[in-house]
Amino acid sequence: MTGTATPRITRPSNGADEPELGVIEAIRAGHEVRSVIHEQVTEGDAVLNIEAFSLYYGQAQALHSVTAPVRRGKVTAISGPSGCGKSTLLRSVNRLNDLIDSVRIEGDMLLNGESIYHPRVDVISLRKRLGMVFQKPNPFPMSIFENVVYPLRIDGEKRRSVLEEACERSLKGAAIWDEVKDRLKESALGLSGGQQQRLCIARAIVADPEVLLLDEPCSALDPVATLRIEELIHEISERYTVLIVTHNMQQAARVSDFTAFMYLGRLVEYGPTDEVFQRPRLGETEQYVTGRFG
Amino acid sequence: MQEQPTQPETQAHRRVTPPAARGGPLMWLMGGALAACLVLVLGLIGLIVVRGSQTFWPKAIERVEMVAVEGGEPEVLLGRLMETDVYRPDRDERARIEALNAQGLLPQSVDPDEPLERILLQVGNREFGAAAFRWVPLYEVASRSRPENTVVLERLEWGPFIGSVDALVFDRWLPEDEALFDERPASTDIGEGVATREVRFVGGERRVLERVTVPLVGEEGFRAFEREVRSAKDRRRVIERLERGERSEVDRRIGALNMRVRRAELEREETVSDDSSMPFWLWGGTTIASIGLLFAGVRLRRSTTDPDHPGRVKPGGFLASLMIGVSLAGLFFGAVDHPWSGPSMSEERLESIRAEHASEVERLIERGEEIDARLSELRRDDARFRVIVTDARTGRFAPEEVGRPGEPMRLSQIDRAVRSNALDFSGRLGVYFDRWAQFLTDRPRPDGEGGLLSVIVGTVTLTMLLTITVVPLGVIAAIYLREYAHQGFITSVLRIAVNNLAGVPSIVYGVFGLGFFCYIVGGYIDTGPDAPAARTPWWALVGALVLAASLAITLMGAGRRIPGRPSSRAASACRIGAGLLWVAAVALVFYLVAATPYFGGFFRAEVSAGQPVFGARGILWASLTLSLLTLPVVIVATEEAIAAVPRSIREASLGCGASKWQTIRRVVLPGALPGIMTGAILAIARGAGEVAPLMLVGAVKLAPQLPVSTEFPFIHGERSFMHLGFHIYDLGFQSRDSEAAQPLVWTTTLLLIAIVLLLNLAAIVLRSRLRSRKGPAV
Ligand SMILES: Nc1ncnc2c1ncn2[C@@H]1O[C@H](COP(=O)(O)OP(=O)(O)OP(=O)(O)O)[C@@H](O)[C@H]1O
Ligand SMILES: [Mg+2]
Repeated sequence: MTGTATPRITRPSNGADEPELGVIEAIRAGHEVRSVIHEQVTEGDAVLNIEAFSLYYGQAQALHSVTAPVRRGKVTAISGPSGCGKSTLLRSVNRLNDLIDSVRIEGDMLLNGESIYHPRVDVISLRKRLGMVFQKPNPFPMSIFENVVYPLRIDGEKRRSVLEEACERSLKGAAIWDEVKDRLKESALGLSGGQQQRLCIARAIVADPEVLLLDEPCSALDPVATLRIEELIHEISERYTVLIVTHNMQQAARVSDFTAFMYLGRLVEYGPTDEVFQRPRLGETEQYVTGRFG
Repeated sequence: MQEQPTQPETQAHRRVTPPAARGGPLMWLMGGALAACLVLVLGLIGLIVVRGSQTFWPKAIERVEMVAVEGGEPEVLLGRLMETDVYRPDRDERARIEALNAQGLLPQSVDPDEPLERILLQVGNREFGAAAFRWVPLYEVASRSRPENTVVLERLEWGPFIGSVDALVFDRWLPEDEALFDERPASTDIGEGVATREVRFVGGERRVLERVTVPLVGEEGFRAFEREVRSAKDRRRVIERLERGERSEVDRRIGALNMRVRRAELEREETVSDDSSMPFWLWGGTTIASIGLLFAGVRLRRSTTDPDHPGRVKPGGFLASLMIGVSLAGLFFGAVDHPWSGPSMSEERLESIRAEHASEVERLIERGEEIDARLSELRRDDARFRVIVTDARTGRFAPEEVGRPGEPMRLSQIDRAVRSNALDFSGRLGVYFDRWAQFLTDRPRPDGEGGLLSVIVGTVTLTMLLTITVVPLGVIAAIYLREYAHQGFITSVLRIAVNNLAGVPSIVYGVFGLGFFCYIVGGYIDTGPDAPAARTPWWALVGALVLAASLAITLMGAGRRIPGRPSSRAASACRIGAGLLWVAAVALVFYLVAATPYFGGFFRAEVSAGQPVFGARGILWASLTLSLLTLPVVIVATEEAIAAVPRSIREASLGCGASKWQTIRRVVLPGALPGIMTGAILAIARGAGEVAPLMLVGAVKLAPQLPVSTEFPFIHGERSFMHLGFHIYDLGFQSRDSEAAQPLVWTTTLLLIAIVLLLNLAAIVLRSRLRSRKGPAV
C-alpha cells in the first residue's frame, strides 16, 4: 500500500457538471479509495451486510475491504470488468471459498444480523439458506428429477409426493418444465447448456432460499432463454433477495433494483440502478455503463 | 483456386505445415506396436485355448508292431497316439540307423541325414514297468493298425490301462464244505463261461471261492462289459458316500468330544492356579464411579467447548476428555475384571463332563465299528466282479494290485472305459463332454487325476474373500487420503509409500503373511498372548493410553484449522503434537491387545492337541495376504477416480447445503464408481492369478475339505484350500510324470483364464450397470 487514501468529495447528484475522473488511477496506484454508496442503498432493510470484507488468494488480494449492504427483497446486480472479484465476492457469501486452502479473509458478513464467518457458524445450515447458481452450468450426473430435488434429498425428505410437487414447481419457476416434463428420468447431462443452466436455477430455488446468488446465469444462454431467466428473476424477486453478477449492462438495467460497480477488487460505486445508469456520480461508472470503459 | 493478383499476401498465406506435424510415421509406429501387442496376447491365449481344449478329446489307439531287431521277438506296442513329429536324429541314432540299414533289418533303408518322422504313444500300463510314454521312430515300425476291440481304461489309481477286454470274472463265496472242481462249463446271463473252485482263507476262515470266467465276444460282449462298469461305479459311489459321510462324521464327532474334555481340563488347571479374584466392593465401586465420572465429563466437555480461540489449550477441555477417558477405562475394567470373571471349573463338573464324554465316545465307536463292518461287507461284495484286460506287449492281464499279479482287476477300479477306435464322431463328442463335466464337478483324487471341483471352489472363494476385504479397505483409505486428510507432506509420503508397495515382489507378501497373519495373528486367536503382561502394569498402560488420547483430543481441538484464517504457529504445533500422540496411542492399543492378561485364546485345547486352528495356513490368511498385495492398486485407482470428479459439481453439492460426507456419498462416490470398479477389477485379476504367496500361506496340493460348506459359518477361514494357480504349478513341476501332466496343465490354465475372465466380466457388467444408472440409491 503506497500513499494515503485521498479523501474524495462526492459531488451532489445534480449531474450538471462533467463527472470527476481519477478513481481508476488511484486504485491502480494502490491507494485506498472509499466506495461511493448512494444513500438509497443504506436507507432500507438489508438482508446481507458485507462489512470491510477483504479476501486473499495466498499473497494476492482479490477483495479490498468491501463494505456494502444488500437490500431485502430486491435484485442487486454486481458488475465490473473480468477478474475484478465479482465471483469471489459471491462465493464468499456462502463460504465456498473455504474449500480453497490458500484463502484468507478479513472482515465479516452478516446474514440477517448474524455473522457468517464466526468460527462457531454451522456452514452447512448457512448454505441451506442460500441458493447458488454458478457461472458454468454444473448439473449432477443424475436424472433431471434427482438433480432438482437434491437439496430436499439431503435434508432427508423421502416422500415421493412432496419431492414431485417441489420438482414441478421449481422447474416451472425456472421456465424449463415444458421442455423436460417428459424426460425427468433421463440424465441431466443430456440437456443443452442453456437447459442445464435453467435446471441449476431450478435446483437453487427448490428449497426456498433467503438469498439467491446468481453468478452470470445467462452467459451460456441465447436471447430467448435469457429473457425467460430475466422474467424469472423478476418473478422470484418478489419472494427472494437476488444477488446477480452480470457483464451485460442492459441486463443489469433491466432486472436489477440496485447496481454495484466493482473494479480490481474494490467496490467503486453502488446505488439504485436508474441512478447509476442515468446520473452516476463517478465518471468511470458512466464510462463503464455506456461501454466506453478503457 | 485462382489467386487474385490484387490480394495482398497475408500471414495466413505464408503458413506451412512441416512434414513432422502430420505424424504419419508415428501413426504407423503406434499401429505396429498395437499389432505386436495383439499378436503376442492373442497368440498366448490362442495357444492355451487350442492346447487346453484338446486334452479331453478321445485319441486313437494305435497298435504298432516294431521290426524285430537284435534277433529278439518283434515288440508290439499299444498306445494312445498323442503327437506326430518331424525331427533330426542325433549322432548316436544316426549310427544306429546306419547299422540297421547295413543289417537290412528295416523295411526300407533310411537316410539318417534326412528329417525323420516319429510318433508319441501313451502306452500307460504302469504296473508292467515300461515308461508311460514312448517316442517311436516310424522307420522301426513294421505295421500300424487301429484295432477296434482295444480300450483305454481310466483307472482310479495307476493311470490308464490300454489293452483288450477279454473276459468278465464273477466270484462267489461258498461254505467250506462245498465240493471243489477244476473247470466246468457254466452259464450266466451274459453268456457261457467256465467255472472253477478253489480254497481261500478269508480272515483266518477257510472258504471256497467259485470263479466264473465269461469270455467277451464282439460288440455284444463289450456292451455287457460297459454295463458291468456302470453298475460297479454305482457300488463304488455307495461305498464312497458311506465313507465320506457317516464314517467321517463319526470320527469328527469323536474328535470334537475329545476337544471338549481337553478344554474342560485346561480350564480346571487354571481354576486351581488362579486365586486372584476381584473383591466385590472394588469392582462395584469402580463401575459406579465410572458412570458418574462419564456424566460429569460429558457435561464439562459441553460447557468448555470454545472454538473461538484456536491455538489455546483449555484446561477445562483437557480435564473433560480425561474424565471421559478414565470413566471409559473404568467401565472397561468392570467389564473384563469382574469378581466372577476367572475360570471356574470344579472337579465335579470336570468329572461329569468326562463321564458324559466316555459314554458318548463309546457309543460313537460302536457306531463306527458298525459302519466299518458294513463297509467291508460292501467291499467284499464289490470285489466279486472283475475283468480281464490284456496288455498287448506282455500278454498279461491288469492286476488288482501291483503286488498280486494273479488277481485280475476289479471292475470298480475303472472310472471310464473308452473304446476310441470304435467310436463315431458323436460318440467321441460324448466322451469329450463327459470328461469335461467330470473335470469341472468331481473332487480331485490323491494321484492328481479326477476333477477340479475343490480347486475351482477354492479359487473362487479366495477371490471373493479377497474382493470383499480389499475393496472396502482400499476405498475407505483412499477417500480419507484424498478428501479428509490435509494435503501436505505426510499425505505425499503416504502416497509414495502406497505406490511403492505395488513394486514389492509377491513372495515377500507371502513371507509376511505367513509370519504375521498365520503365526502372530492366528496364534493369538488360538492361544492368546504368548507372554501376557501382569495386571497392574497393564492397567497402568491403559491409564497412559487414556492420558495420551485425552491430550491428543484437546490438542486437536486447539489446533483446528479455521477456514479463511491463517493458521498460527501454535496451532500447527498443536496439530503435530496431536498427531504424535495419536501414533503413540495406537501403538499402545496394539501393545495392550497383544499383551492382555484377559484373553487366553479360543482354541487352546486344539493347539495342545497339536492341531492349531487359525494359527496355521488357511484361506482367510491367504485372502488377507492377497488383499495387502492388491491394496495399492485399489487405493491408487480410487484416488484417481475421486480426483477426477470435477470440482464444479462438488461445489454445486456443497452450495446446495450438503455436508462434506453427503457430497462424497452422493456425488463424488457415484461419479468415481466406474474408476473404483476398474481398480477393483485390476485387483481381482492380479489376486486371482497370484501363486507365489499362496504357496506359503495356505494353498495345498490336496485339501481334505472344501473351504465352504452348508454348516455355519459357511466360509471356513481356517481351512487350507486348493487353488488353480498353485495346482498348475504343482501339475507342471511337481508331478511324477510330466509328459502325462502336460495336457492337464494346459487345460487347467484354460480354466484359470476362464474363471478370471468370468469374474472380470461380472465386474464389468456391474460397472456398466452402475454407470448407466441415473440417480444414486439413497
Ligand atoms: N482459486 C483461485 N486461486 C487464486 N486466485 C484466484 C482464484 N480464483 C480467482 N482468483 C483470482 O481472483 C481474482 C478475481 O477472480 P473472480 O473469479 O472473482 O473474477 P470475476 O470478477 O468473477 O471475473 P469474471 O467476470 O471473468 O468471471 C482474479 O484475479 C483471479 O485470477
Ligand atoms: Mg466470475
